[in-house]
Amino acid sequence: MAYQLYRNTTLGNSLQESLDELIQSQQITPQLALQVLRQFDKAINSALAQRVRNRVNFRGSLNTYRFCDNVWTFVLNDVEFREVTELIKVDKVKIVACDGKNTGSNTTE
Amino acid sequence: MDQNNSLPPYAQGLASPQGAMTPGIPIFSPMMPYGTGLTPQPIQNTNSLSLLEEQQRQQQQQQAQQQAQQQQQQAVAAVQQSTSQQATPGASGQTPQLFHSQTLTTAPLPGTTPLYPSPMTPMTPITPATPASESSGIVPQLQNIVSTVNLGCKLDLKTIALRARNAEYNPKRFAAVIMRIREPRTTALIFSSGKMVCTGAKSEEQSRLAARKYARVVQKLGFPAKFLDFKIQNMVGSCDVKFPIRLEGLVLTHQQFSSYEPELFPGLIYRMIKPRIVLLIFVSGKVVLTGAKVRAEIYEAFENIYPILKGFRKT
Repeated sequence: MAYQLYRNTTLGNSLQESLDELIQSQQITPQLALQVLRQFDKAINSALAQRVRNRVNFRGSLNTYRFCDNVWTFVLNDVEFREVTELIKVDKVKIVACDGKNTGSNTTE
Repeated sequence: MDQNNSLPPYAQGLASPQGAMTPGIPIFSPMMPYGTGLTPQPIQNTNSLSLLEEQQRQQQQQQAQQQAQQQQQQAVAAVQQSTSQQATPGASGQTPQLFHSQTLTTAPLPGTTPLYPSPMTPMTPITPATPASESSGIVPQLQNIVSTVNLGCKLDLKTIALRARNAEYNPKRFAAVIMRIREPRTTALIFSSGKMVCTGAKSEEQSRLAARKYARVVQKLGFPAKFLDFKIQNMVGSCDVKFPIRLEGLVLTHQQFSSYEPELFPGLIYRMIKPRIVLLIFVSGKVVLTGAKVRAEIYEAFENIYPILKGFRKT
């Protein structure tokens, strides 16, 4: 099973809202919506792993950290995201990170 | 502490409004060993996790400690001045810089009751150290304190890791939550049995305060945490004798206590018997002391090793 991490992103949330509308109007079953979301998880995980090549650096001060269930959660303050092209400054950023090397014992490709 | 600046250091103990040191009681006299007065007062075991009373107690003990340290240095200087009057002038070539005009040579130390009727500072051989040797004038600084405490209730580590800040929990690797706080900068290992280890503090009171802070975090998460059997397990100190040392010579003469394997580790490991302290002695003159349960053991061990190290000074 791929990480369901990306369901709570702009893209993932839009998908979930659209699916909820379709369920409301009885056009699809909730079971089908779940299947769509699982396919989304697979697709986004593989896309980010294979098709994304650019690199962003960021630097800030660490406010809090947490490590539980192999998931790191950080809250940073006064962060600068730096890409070759541009610079973005943010007061607060929350980072949720899952292990990239080991996606679990029953990973499906 | 600001109101005491107008007084000379030796009189500060008398003017302290908190009465941390009752005037007239000789906490320090030249005859008493270094340990007394520096060890914390016997601790009333309050189970309430109130940080306010913890900090008040900490401040009182800090003041007592600082005054005690000043008096210790006065005592050290007074002992040295008396010895130097008896010893030949050549012997005091290595006297440390504690000799200042404020120490009195003939009157008893202020703050002590006149136990000895004679006006001269008595040099009867009650001193534990050999009367002819001088003390080093170097005070080891505490670098790390490890302590344990029992919170007295079983804990759900996953709940703690999920709800507390600055916590790590990886049960596959280690069966405890690793939590950190910034003030005092420490790390705690919290186990599901309710027992906790607190490391990284620079003083006994800081270690206790930090442990209380961790206990309060756990308490706020809903567990009935108490503060049972707080105990300091290990204290580490370090200092610098400011001269290079011939470790080979030291291991030859003190081979029952020393182990020196430069291919394994560049420091000589000296296992002192009394007090039971392990010292890491380096060629540069830096010394690390560990294994103490109380601060006095660190100081005593250093005072014991210092004359030995002076004998192996590299020229």
